Amino acid sequence: MRKVLLLLVSCLVIGLILSPCVWSKTKIIKVGINAPLTGDIPKVGEGTKYAAQMWLEDIKSAGGLEVGGKKYPVELVIEDNESKAESAVKVNTKMITQDEVMVIVGPQASSQAIPAGEVANNYKTPMISPWSTNPDTTKNRPFVFRGCFLDPFQGPVAANFIKEEFGFTKAAVLYDVASDYPKGLAEFFKKAWEKANGAGSVVAFESFTTKDVDFSSQLTKIIKSGAEVLFTPQYYNEVALIVQQAHELGWNKPITGSDSWGSAETVELCGKDCYGLFFSTHYAAAGAKGATKAFIDRYNKKYGYVPDDVGALTWDALQIVQKAIQSYGKITGNVEKDRKGIRDALANIKEFDGITGKMTFTEDGDPIKCAVIVRISEKGEYEFYKSVCP
Amino acid sequence: MVFFFQNLINALQWGSFYALIALGYSMVYGILMLFNFAHGDIFMVGAYIGFGVATGIAALASLGAIVLPNWLILVLTIIISMFLTSFVGILVERLGYRPLREAPRASAAITGLMIGIILETGNLALLGARRVRFPSLIESATYNIGGVYVTNKKIMIVGVSLMLMLALHQFVRRSKYGMAMRAMAFDYVVVPLMGVPINTIAAMTFAIGSALAAAAGILFGIAYPVLDPYMGIVFGWKAFVAAILGGRGSILGATLAGFLLGFIEIFVAMIFPSTLRDFIAYSIILLILTFRPHGFFGEPYSARLRL
Amino acid sequence: MLSRRIWDSFFRVPLLGWLIGILIAVMLEHLLGDSLVDVLGLSKIPALFGFVIILKNPILMPGATLYVLLIYIIPVSAVARISSWPANKLAARLLDFPIWFSVVIHLGLFYAALHMWSEISAYRLLTLKLTLIAIMVTLSLNVVNGYMGEFSCSHPGFMALGAYAASVVTVVLFVNDRLFGPALLAPAFGPFIFPVALVTGGMVAALGALAIAIPSFRTRGDYLAIISLAFMFIIKSMIENLEVVGGPRGLSSQPDYANLPIVFFWTIACIWMTNNFVRSILGKALNAVRDDEMAANAMTVNTRRTKIIAFLFAAFWAGVAGGLFAHVLRYVNPATFGLQKLAEVLAMVYFGGLNSVYGSIVGAVSLSLLGEALRPLEIFKWIIIPLLLILVMIYRPTGLVAFKELNVRNLVKPKQ
Repeated sequence: MRKVLLLLVSCLVIGLILSPCVWSKTKIIKVGINAPLTGDIPKVGEGTKYAAQMWLEDIKSAGGLEVGGKKYPVELVIEDNESKAESAVKVNTKMITQDEVMVIVGPQASSQAIPAGEVANNYKTPMISPWSTNPDTTKNRPFVFRGCFLDPFQGPVAANFIKEEFGFTKAAVLYDVASDYPKGLAEFFKKAWEKANGAGSVVAFESFTTKDVDFSSQLTKIIKSGAEVLFTPQYYNEVALIVQQAHELGWNKPITGSDSWGSAETVELCGKDCYGLFFSTHYAAAGAKGATKAFIDRYNKKYGYVPDDVGALTWDALQIVQKAIQSYGKITGNVEKDRKGIRDALANIKEFDGITGKMTFTEDGDPIKCAVIVRISEKGEYEFYKSVCP
Repeated sequence: MVFFFQNLINALQWGSFYALIALGYSMVYGILMLFNFAHGDIFMVGAYIGFGVATGIAALASLGAIVLPNWLILVLTIIISMFLTSFVGILVERLGYRPLREAPRASAAITGLMIGIILETGNLALLGARRVRFPSLIESATYNIGGVYVTNKKIMIVGVSLMLMLALHQFVRRSKYGMAMRAMAFDYVVVPLMGVPINTIAAMTFAIGSALAAAAGILFGIAYPVLDPYMGIVFGWKAFVAAILGGRGSILGATLAGFLLGFIEIFVAMIFPSTLRDFIAYSIILLILTFRPHGFFGEPYSARLRL
Repeated sequence: MLSRRIWDSFFRVPLLGWLIGILIAVMLEHLLGDSLVDVLGLSKIPALFGFVIILKNPILMPGATLYVLLIYIIPVSAVARISSWPANKLAARLLDFPIWFSVVIHLGLFYAALHMWSEISAYRLLTLKLTLIAIMVTLSLNVVNGYMGEFSCSHPGFMALGAYAASVVTVVLFVNDRLFGPALLAPAFGPFIFPVALVTGGMVAALGALAIAIPSFRTRGDYLAIISLAFMFIIKSMIENLEVVGGPRGLSSQPDYANLPIVFFWTIACIWMTNNFVRSILGKALNAVRDDEMAANAMTVNTRRTKIIAFLFAAFWAGVAGGLFAHVLRYVNPATFGLQKLAEVLAMVYFGGLNSVYGSIVGAVSLSLLGEALRPLEIFKWIIIPLLLILVMIYRPTGLVAFKELNVRNLVKPKQ
């Protein structure tokens, strides 16, 4: 008993003497990553984490982030929000008050980004959600920004593209009613389509619930409705199933989608069924040039697959953060002051040329950028088809 | 009319999955009176094992080590995966349920739930967050019969499911072990005293249930070729509904309830706006239970939680 | 021998002594925390007893351990031990007054300690609030699953009903919202109306519970399990289709009324009422129904009425907890109240212990804290926690602290 106690005490003392050497108080730039590593959308979390780690690698190989002529080490605080709203709020609170991060990237899904943005704004910490398309995320929150375009823009893009390209007048929509991104987009598409083709021109507006895999009933209804084109703003795993089942039920008309299709997995999971289909997105992986291509190749080499839009958007968000920190130009060591400074620098970025396209920011912190229409080629690659700017 | 028959075909396929998974659930529930909340995740594991086996055999075949037609690969995959997954079931029983045989039933349900979470997260940690595509073992062919589209996959899925259900029914009705199972479902305390080896029968129940889940997993992979670690959760809970709806220990009941669940979901989406599908579908189930509180084939009984 | 005697002497410290010890430890943290942290080479005051720090950076383990030792363990035990004699006297004196007086004093001390503890960091405060809410939910589910012996799966649904009902009341009355238009009342009324909103939430949840209770209590068996599960799906689908409250996008901008005193007050109210309920004649009848419904019926217990009352009671508190939850996060969406939440709540109930108020508190607190403490493990957190739960189930099948009555008088009485 006594020996154990003695050992314990000596361990503590030795450790205590050593630990201050390990933890010297240099000024560190801490960046928080709030990502859904477990829960419903682990894939999104993984893409976020990998992109962030790649960014950190770059910074490390450059010997730190250069701010105002001095190099500072950068630390990433990656936390799992379990795809739960309350957990995302906890993670943000923890990162802001415990880890004292300067800026937060994430959460990705709107259902977590809205409550987490509230926390970030209350504690005056800048936050960029790369992927959240819900207007509420940034509304009246000076400290919250986003890296993607909003639903009200993409809906009309998709509708106008179909109208111009095919000249159809009757469309069907299939979307996930329990998930806010597809639902929002589906509604904006419907509005834009009916504006162009008259009321009732969306002949079938069908829905399902998250995690459903069988869409045969909805698709049968859509086929019966006599629609000429199917618009489905779903995630890649559902796209594969929807397209395949539609073909099995005898649908041979076009199917189009939105940026959520823009994952390498869409083609991998969907196979030949998806060849020749169109969707609108932030960037096209195949036929990408310059920095975009470099990013895709590097990611692919490192992690073994072509990055999704989440990875690319997270990468851009981190580049924006980096630019903001650099244009802020100093690290005072006073976290609150630095946060405010970074926020102002972020708000001052009027234009940014990222791998997902050139963007400009509005008052609310939302970017305006061009959408790209992508065609899935006969080889299963994403081909640039045309670019649509607001 | 075409519209109706098309949905009928759709519902038959969808119901087969519910029925197969509910059967496995109902085996454990009927005989051991346990909620096997890990069942949905065993289904997931079965699908992944099937994926592994199918890819493995296909790889061997492509190397030229063996020459097999596709249908034989499929049969082999189903048999091997059912065999392997039954061991997962036995393991789950041994680790999570056997130590709790004297405990309150609900506690065993919680261990099941937790084993399920471990299986999901373990899969996520092992294979990463990527979804995998189940290899297409049979070339899809679509037949147009008077406007109703039927694929060879749909016919096969419904056929294999019905065959498995029939086989199980025969096993439970005719074999000695089946008799032991029925006896245990009838009385849990006295039957072991008559020399029925309770541990063997319990393990066998789990093994059969898991094998059925594996078969369902592979058929699922053929029909909906996207697998992810969390795919079993919803199936598990819905099979739970079907198993209890069918009535305790009734194979026929669980099968019917599984098909019923599939039919309700498909036809509600057909008739009503599909946004309201879950709302209406589960309201119907609530109504059924209000008027038929013992399920379809269950006897009115007083199940006491052994607290 | 000596250590044995010291150990035993701690059992003679009354609750009052412990509370004073904790209060002093927390004060100590306020005064000395920051400087001690500098000396020990930590970067910040450990928020949750150093677990996160240790797991994240094992090299800081001695510092974090020493911090916990110096700030919490040593002061608490020392003060408790030293104040043992006067505290015992005081506790005895307090018992001369009506029991509520003593209870209020204890609760006051406890709240003061919690308040000061949570002031150190906002993360602590949030974790504390959510833990308190988890206690309410767990306790209310324990009434059904533990005391009544049924297996109910609908608690996330009740929480959702409560959360939305309470949110709608406060948002309509006090917030200029794009869904409901301008505020109807001056914000000054807010804190006074908030309890009304919470009770409304509870009432709506209880009303929903009636929809399950009527069909499911016609017979005994597992039908409650699936009826309640179906109910949960129905509620979720219903809210997703209600565009008035935002549908799947959720409802945000709830006013910030759920501060720590409010949450603490409601949690204590919930514990108090539940404890009284399960110790009342009705509660005993409930246990009788669980153990043998037929016999209970023969003993003139109106079994159906008993079960329905208990079920509504549980749903009410789940609804109140949901309302608080919505106002702590200031955002709700239907996806929050799904199968994941159900697994979480069930785990808390069975981990803590059936049929026991203590058990629910232990289960909710330990799983909430564990979830936070194991954060650095990322994915593996969700392997470790279930494993731990399985082990607890195997070695203590009814949970950690099952079948233990909470007797307030025993709790606050002097120990000498």
